[in-house]
Amino acid sequence: MAEVKAGVAAKEALSEALSEALSEAAFSELMEQCEDQFTQLEKLQNEIILSEPDACENPQDQAVNRLMATEAELKQWLTVEPKLLASNSKVLLKAGKEEMLKLCSELEMVLSCQEAKRDKLKETKELEQKWLEEKQQVLIAAKNHVERIKMEKEKASEHSILLDTKGKIQKLNVYQKRLMECLSDVLEKHVPLPQYEPSTNKKKKSNTQEFDKDMISLNEILELLMNKTLNTPHDPYITIDNTFWPPYIELLLRYGIAVRHQESNFKIRLETFL
Amino acid sequence: MSLLKPFSKLPGLNTANILLVESEEQFQQSLADGLVEETAVTVNVRLAKSLPLPKENEESRPRIDLVVFIINLTSELSFQSAEASLKYLDPGYFLGKVCFMVTNARNASVPTERLDAVRKLAAALHCPLLFAEDQTPDGVTNATKRLLSILKVSAGLVPMATALYLSSLTSCTVPPDIDQPSFD
Repeated sequence: MAEVKAGVAAKEALSEALSEALSEAAFSELMEQCEDQFTQLEKLQNEIILSEPDACENPQDQAVNRLMATEAELKQWLTVEPKLLASNSKVLLKAGKEEMLKLCSELEMVLSCQEAKRDKLKETKELEQKWLEEKQQVLIAAKNHVERIKMEKEKASEHSILLDTKGKIQKLNVYQKRLMECLSDVLEKHVPLPQYEPSTNKKKKSNTQEFDKDMISLNEILELLMNKTLNTPHDPYITIDNTFWPPYIELLLRYGIAVRHQESNFKIRLETFL
Repeated sequence: MSLLKPFSKLPGLNTANILLVESEEQFQQSLADGLVEETAVTVNVRLAKSLPLPKENEESRPRIDLVVFIINLTSELSFQSAEASLKYLDPGYFLGKVCFMVTNARNASVPTERLDAVRKLAAALHCPLLFAEDQTPDGVTNATKRLLSILKVSAGLVPMATALYLSSLTSCTVPPDIDQPSFD
């Protein structure tokens, strides 16, 4: 406790000694106070020197020592009363002015530091805002995209799928019709029925005329083959009888459109195109 | 054997006295040069290789307000010397008037056990532990500033603050798992 008092006393003596160039009355008053403080300090110092036999070596004792000192200091702080530095207003003015000036310069430093910090933060903020704007634009674009896709999807689910499919079917039908027409045209043009064949060979003509009535066209043979394949896939063979003109069979077999049965010569089927 | 005592003498007017103890006497000179440049108070710097201080100067020696032990972490001797010197300090000094300053802590060749030992020592004595860079001028200036702010308090030059109060806030603490092997 005494130590603390000594420290406080020293402090006060010092702070008062700062003020110079005051009026003589104030100065002498200050000096008097300083003297008082100093004598008190000396007294305390003597007390300390006289009462110092305690020497503790190990850290545990030191911890106890520390605890005691801290408690003493706490008590000191609790009991201490705030009091004026000096009663003379001139002294107070002088000391206050000095304090204020010191505080002012310190605050100015803080201000400039804060300003620099603020400017830096502003810059950062601008950058961040720019960044944010960009990101928001991206977000808006992405949202629009999502919405568009969603709308398309919704529309599709109700009506347009049906229309789409219908359109596709129609297209395919048209295409198939065209193909069929094409095929029939080709067949009509290039592989006519034997009876219509403008034969130059008389022998042949006479030959064909024998079968005139029963003969079927290549169209019909193909139709038979296809229908058989589709209707009874497990038994796609059709039996050749005298309604089939042999050169057509030859044609089909040669160009790989039809295949002969492995065991029976009179049976053919459509080649497996699928 | 004479103990160095914190209150054996009257304080000087507007004066702070600091004692730098360093066995290698490398860093203390540059620190002292920085410390005496302080203008607001008169700073007296005393240098010592180790404690106890020689008897013959005892009369002229001012009251020491702050004792700083400078420990170079790269040398075991530095630590041992500081540890041995602690015996010659009055227990009153450990109420906020001692601090440890460690240099070369960043050196890769420093064994971590030594730093741990210093931390334990500082924590056991409730003293602040400062880390300083002694190679660069900036590091020296920083170390000087930190020492000055502690010195002003311990010399009683800061109103409403005492050494004990400050050291309660700044004393070194050892993490509870310092003895556990670290897994990183």
